[in-house]
Amino acid sequence: MSVRYVPVQWNRIKWVYDGLLVAGVLAYLVAFLQIGAGMADATRPVDGAILRMRAFGSCAFFLLTVILCIGPLARLDRRFLPLLYNRRHFGVVTFAVALTHAAYVLGWYFAYAPTPPVAALLSSNTSYGTALGFPFEALGAFALVVLALLAATSHDFWLSFLTAPVWKALHLMIYPAYAALVAHVALGYLQDVDNPAFAILFGGGALAVAGLHAAAALEGRREARSAGTWVAVCAPGEIADKRARIVRLPDGDRAAVFRNGARVSAISNACAHQNGPLGEGRIVFGCVTCPWHGYQYRMEDGCSPPPFTEKVPTYNLRLRDGVIEIDARANAPGTPVPPLDVAGMI
Amino acid sequence: MAAKEPPFFIGWGKMPAALRDFTIGIGLGLVVLLALAGFMVAATQNDPGDGAVLGGAAAVGVLEAAPYPVLHVTDSESFAAGTALLLSGVGKRGVEDRAGSLDGKLVAVKGVRLARGEIEGVQVSPGADGMVEADGAAARPVAADLGRWRITGEICDGKCLNGAMRPGTGLAHKACANLCLIGGAPPVFVATGRVDGAEFFLLGNADGGPVTQEVLDHTAVLVEAEGRVERRGGIHVFLIDPASVRLAR
Ligand code: FES
Repeated sequence: MSVRYVPVQWNRIKWVYDGLLVAGVLAYLVAFLQIGAGMADATRPVDGAILRMRAFGSCAFFLLTVILCIGPLARLDRRFLPLLYNRRHFGVVTFAVALTHAAYVLGWYFAYAPTPPVAALLSSNTSYGTALGFPFEALGAFALVVLALLAATSHDFWLSFLTAPVWKALHLMIYPAYAALVAHVALGYLQDVDNPAFAILFGGGALAVAGLHAAAALEGRREARSAGTWVAVCAPGEIADKRARIVRLPDGDRAAVFRNGARVSAISNACAHQNGPLGEGRIVFGCVTCPWHGYQYRMEDGCSPPPFTEKVPTYNLRLRDGVIEIDARANAPGTPVPPLDVAGMI
Repeated sequence: MAAKEPPFFIGWGKMPAALRDFTIGIGLGLVVLLALAGFMVAATQNDPGDGAVLGGAAAVGVLEAAPYPVLHVTDSESFAAGTALLLSGVGKRGVEDRAGSLDGKLVAVKGVRLARGEIEGVQVSPGADGMVEADGAAARPVAADLGRWRITGEICDGKCLNGAMRPGTGLAHKACANLCLIGGAPPVFVATGRVDGAEFFLLGNADGGPVTQEVLDHTAVLVEAEGRVERRGGIHVFLIDPASVRLAR
């Protein structure tokens, strides 16, 4: 949460996170270039530039695969949430690795020619009609452009400048980019050479991304979808203290009904930061705390405590026959609603 | 509510110990996994072959300009007499422009030696002494017509195949090969079987000149092509009908 934008708000967790991230990338590259490459079967060694484009390219693929697994994993098992916390640094590092791969490709395969490198990359092979020999470079270039765009707009400044829904939509482009990347690898390296270890890791990675997303989507479906203006939630005692019950409203939005002792309030389930699931968070120091990056909101008006200025919509609640009901029509972000008093019912 | 609540993590707060151990465990596990993956992917790469850049070389011989410039060596310290050298320029370029006027003449060539298996080549140095007419009489080797053939193989650029890049063949290299061919480097047909003992063929068009643009759509994959095969001194030339090229089954 910030009232002022700084490049990165560092804290210890970010340092450890980034340290492990850089260690992982270095471990991959060193194991590839310094140890593994020497053990490959070769009459004469593979060109240094080609070796490096393979090392950086495959590394970028694996990094993006891990990034895309974090979201659904955190949904399925909350212990993975800390990995989500600093995911943007993960993305920026992946972009840098992918860019290095592209630089080697341009500087080796597409240099030394009368045609300038980028033009050569896009024009020298035009077999778009066949899978065998398809200009897979174009797919990689698309994925790289998306990664560049996402890395450049990953900062919270862009999030508030573009507004959360636009930013979120923009960042969903990571999925088409990943699909393009999978095709880039499948039509290129995988079709070209016979590298069993890579084939297995590549297939396993892509399947893990698809499988985890399917599992997380199924999990989300299980939350009941309700109808009508006033929607029954549950008895107050069913909500654990300082926790929430998430309800899916008829229009598809989700609300988080929080209980703090004997008081119950409802706010939108979508965090104003990056749409994190507020209802999976908790009340900490009297405020609803987002499980993703820790933004906080007061449950009675959906506002972040000063000096912060974030706001989320609130909902009206009532009690009927000992059951909390929620008005499906959201109030404007930051609208105060007096909490329900449920003393004696819990 | 259950007594054992999963710990709750707030980025700016202090991480509960159990969660911290779990997270660090996952992080370290990932580092180890990445190292293993990098090692395995690198160690199982396949053999890029024996193509190589072998340092400076010079030769005198008879130059034949079509379909692509070839020097039939008569005298050299680096190559046996009778060797046919595929000539290319610096970078992704051919030397057709320099060779045209020297066709059929005795020529001295200087540059860098490229070799792979049975094919030899020279990347002609860009200086004025890279390719000059030499004194002496010259006779081109007599071409032996080996008839029409349908051959299965891969169309490569004769420069990268020959060691300018390793690997210099295959799908990942296709666009690069096309770029070389567009620049005028000699195309080579690498057959899956041997014809008249040869595995590599300098490729030309049926009319005896350089290949046409259509061939670019068939590089780097296994194809079948039909055309006339000639043995010209130390090299086999495959003069194809571009329309006959199709994916091999
Ligand atoms: S989504 Fe980032 S704090 Fe809620």
